Amino acid sequence: MSHLRDLQLRFQDYLIDGSRAIEEDIVSTENALAEHRLGTYYNAYRIRLIDSLAVDFSALEHYLGRESFENLTLDYLLHHPSTRPSVRWFGQHLPEYLARFNHAGDAEFVHELAQYEWLQTIVFDAADSPTLVQLEDMAQIGAETWPALTFAFKPAMQWLDLYWNVPQIEHALDSGESVPDKHRSEFPLRWLLWRRDFKTYWRSLEVHEAWALQQAVNGANFADICQGLLEWIDAEQVALTAAGLLKQWISDQLVTRLGDF
Amino acid sequence: MTQAKPFLGFGLGLRAEHYQDILERKPQNIDWFEILSENYLIEGGKPLYFLDAIRQDYPMVMHGVSMSLGSTDELDFNYLGQLKALIQRIEPRWFSDHLCWTGVDHKNMHDLLPLPYTDEAIVHVADRISRVQDFIGRQMLIENLSSYITYCEDAMPEWEFLSAIAERADCYLLLDVNNIYVSSFNHHYDPLDYLDGVPAERVWQHHLAGHTNDGNLIIDTHDHDVIDPVWQLYAETAKRFGPVSTMIERDGNIPELDQVLAELEQARRIAAPYYQS
Ligand SMILES: [Fe+2]
Repeated sequence: MSHLRDLQLRFQDYLIDGSRAIEEDIVSTENALAEHRLGTYYNAYRIRLIDSLAVDFSALEHYLGRESFENLTLDYLLHHPSTRPSVRWFGQHLPEYLARFNHAGDAEFVHELAQYEWLQTIVFDAADSPTLVQLEDMAQIGAETWPALTFAFKPAMQWLDLYWNVPQIEHALDSGESVPDKHRSEFPLRWLLWRRDFKTYWRSLEVHEAWALQQAVNGANFADICQGLLEWIDAEQVALTAAGLLKQWISDQLVTRLGDF
Repeated sequence: MTQAKPFLGFGLGLRAEHYQDILERKPQNIDWFEILSENYLIEGGKPLYFLDAIRQDYPMVMHGVSMSLGSTDELDFNYLGQLKALIQRIEPRWFSDHLCWTGVDHKNMHDLLPLPYTDEAIVHVADRISRVQDFIGRQMLIENLSSYITYCEDAMPEWEFLSAIAERADCYLLLDVNNIYVSSFNHHYDPLDYLDGVPAERVWQHHLAGHTNDGNLIIDTHDHDVIDPVWQLYAETAKRFGPVSTMIERDGNIPELDQVLAELEQARRIAAPYYQS
């Protein structure tokens, strides 16, 4: 191993966990102690990465308060140093980390809040969809085409299942509005997040829509979706309901392509 | 082979806070923008939209923080591939990164960490710059750091180290005037020695920025206005190097566009007497 590599490993160990071997490599004078000079890097490393998490998980920081947020993210930094060229990805393991290591009474809520905020970052810079299906396109679909019709969706669309009323609380925390009480449902609710004109939208889905959307994303055709919806919808209403869902998805600018592919 | 030095005029670091303002006003007194490459190594969304839109109106250069030219890890060709794609997308006048390392062992500290000024490091870094230039297919610029430590094994002053690497790799220099000031304060040398010690024909770009001074140590924070001693040092660079593309870097505490533009006007005024002939 080269001399330079040894030096860099010592320096990096110091940044990560404070190992002091590197002090021997640094000039130390009365006015400029090596310990003090190195400390500038030690602190900057922590501040920079914690600040970047505070941008991506701003509601979590509000909810926990700066001090708890710092303690928690310092631990995270120790266990998950960044490995990617862009700091944009540094927070990717934080939700999962919280699920494993946070044993506070509100651990489940905190985990869900972090998951939700991370998903917002995914939606924010997901690939663009230059072409979108318009409602007029729907009118062009001939009756014989409907059963085999399939749908493609934009990459800037995600969903997750939450027990807690995280989206309302996140929105209030980030916009400075009064924060609603935390509430846990008996069953998780599916939340859809998507980007439209560079803004992120979110809404909850009823069980039948959640099921239909998941099927549609997985390539099910219109007839399959109608068939499955019979679990919730009367037979004479089912085609209308399915068409209504499709209309909603198109209005929300989620659908990038219709086909019988 | 050094090429004739291009002069882009006076530019700004492009910041998200100013996107809308720039698109609406298309200010004539900004000649070009420098973008932070890593901010646009993404799939889509608002940043790339504004990047493409603003690129229609202004020349750009690309500035990166993650090449880790000094690291003893392998070069990250995945990253370099993404960078190359972004270069093809926005066709910058040039691209740059720092004379530093950012991590080893596949970790990224996201900081610009200094190298020891040794022959070993010169050979190591110059070889990596050459390989990057071969891969991208163009020459690059490397930037001097603000630094807070001195390695015991340093065998030469920073400007000799920087110059030796530039000559050996045949690359160009992005001289950050604020960083020279900061490091000269922190390490007690004369910043004019620095200016006199670098190859003038390779100096293609300047950064100007503000910093934080705690009395004992100056930290390069980019969150304040440029201070008078840095302006004076900038005048000295103009005197020595002639027309060099110059820009203001502002990363924290970002003011309105007009305030940064006022600083850019000051750079123009200071450089003007030396850029005439
Ligand atoms: Fe700089």
